[in-house]
Amino acid sequence: MLQLARTTGRFALNAAIIGLVVAMLLPVFYMIAMSFRTATEIAQQPLALPTSFAWSNYANALEAMNYLRSVLNSVGITVSVTVIVALLGSIAAFPLARNTGRYSRLFIMLVALGLATPNFVTITPIYVIFRDLGLLDTYIGIILAFTALNLPLAVFFYVGFIAAIPKELLEAAKLDNCKDWQVFWYVIRPLLGPATATLSLFVMLMVWNDFTYPLLLLTDKDKFTVTISVYRFVGNQNVQPDMLFPAAVLGSLPLLVMFIIFQRRIVAGLTAGAVK
Amino acid sequence: MVSRSSAVMFTLPALIVLSVFFVYPILLTFQMSFTNFTGVGVSENIGLKNYERIIGRSRYPEALWVTVKFTVFVVTVQTLAGLIMAALLHRLPAIRNFSRAALFTPAMMSFVVVGYVWQFIYSPFSGGLNSMLNMLGLDWLARGWLGDPSTALYAIAVAHVWMFTGYTTAIFLAGYANIPRDIDEAARLDNVSSFQRFRYLEIPLLAPVFTINIILSTIGTLKTFELPFIMTRGGPDGATRTLSLEIIEQLFGNYRFGFASALSVVMLVIVVAVAVIQNWYLRRKEEL
Repeated sequence: MLQLARTTGRFALNAAIIGLVVAMLLPVFYMIAMSFRTATEIAQQPLALPTSFAWSNYANALEAMNYLRSVLNSVGITVSVTVIVALLGSIAAFPLARNTGRYSRLFIMLVALGLATPNFVTITPIYVIFRDLGLLDTYIGIILAFTALNLPLAVFFYVGFIAAIPKELLEAAKLDNCKDWQVFWYVIRPLLGPATATLSLFVMLMVWNDFTYPLLLLTDKDKFTVTISVYRFVGNQNVQPDMLFPAAVLGSLPLLVMFIIFQRRIVAGLTAGAVK
Repeated sequence: MVSRSSAVMFTLPALIVLSVFFVYPILLTFQMSFTNFTGVGVSENIGLKNYERIIGRSRYPEALWVTVKFTVFVVTVQTLAGLIMAALLHRLPAIRNFSRAALFTPAMMSFVVVGYVWQFIYSPFSGGLNSMLNMLGLDWLARGWLGDPSTALYAIAVAHVWMFTGYTTAIFLAGYANIPRDIDEAARLDNVSSFQRFRYLEIPLLAPVFTINIILSTIGTLKTFELPFIMTRGGPDGATRTLSLEIIEQLFGNYRFGFASALSVVMLVIVVAVAVIQNWYLRRKEEL
């Protein structure tokens, strides 16, 4: 009897927590359900499920947001930043992890300062510098801005990782008369896979979802990222639900699909990265 | 050891990027904060006038106060909610992985999307929250959540907490995974109740994870401007105007580049001070 009561209690607790978790997801379901309803339907019955699918909501949003273009922009910018950050970060981290001279120590301090500084401290001058260099409204400009923002994290990350590589491995390569760049390219680089994967998750998520830099640096509609095109499409005044919800769904769709496919690895990577 | 010349070669690209887009801008921020630069033309050196203005007008200390209230609310609620969820999920392995991923989902969405969706949830006209309260017979609770100065900031904070509680939970769960199994089992054999294990065993062992979670969420929240910018534009009556929102508005609304720089310097000082104090205090507690 006691056993039975315990099993039932346990089942009830599991069910209750699942209920709580699903309740946390209600805003996501709400966003999806509302995106298929017309403004009149929402005004009349705010919480009803869609009875028919107002695909015209999506047709409007897709066109007005220039959706495909903005997804391509986001993908291009995100991938470029991730590759550049991983490359520059890892090659800089190699000597920093191995040498303990004054130069290395100063560089690490600079990196730590970069990690601690909120980007708000530099946005005013960044805007001025970009305007003077003609980098406003260019892909190169926004890629450089994001690269600088994420580089300290990358260097920090790789330094920790490379410092953990056994000394003997590198000394053996040295004995074989490898030059420093050969040591990096043939010995260290192949070992960096897991570090790069975790780092890339952070950088991609940060760049894809960032709002500040595109708001500041991009005014040309053709260069908008997904985030900023959602913002420009929905606007600040008189927000219309039949525009807001489809735009919100489209805006989060690429990452949500990625997340559903790779959720285990994404959660594990982002958690491990934060803990380290 | 890497030779001196290769060390310089390898770090050069990163050094250039950091110098041009991080070190130089920071120096420029300090320099501009003593001027009345408006973005174009020549600027005059006005000494400490910008800083005097920040201290002298109630508008700016109020923005700081808003930021503090927002941060304290978010960090407290998010840490507690994440801890409780992790403690429960740690005891319920059958639903752990599903729940962790489900709770994490909002962190994949951008501030823009989350801001808009929650703005509509709180809307007094056919918004989801008021409709739900009416349905449950709680009409008296329904209100214009974002239009009322007494609720607006906390309404936004709830959206922020909703977004990141899953992240906090996942980090706590990673901490749980590091607790040695035999400690847990020894306590069970001694018939220590579930709550006592939580209070006297798990919380002390999770101390380093508290540090990580609190520092991460404090840094993330102190500089937030996105949700207030999207949901209320700082209104009603300045009730949600955070320090970083103020910087953006001074920059793009008023073209006061010099003044915005001074605000940035104030912000840098606050963020660094908070990070140092928190780190020191939490690490000291870890050792006890």
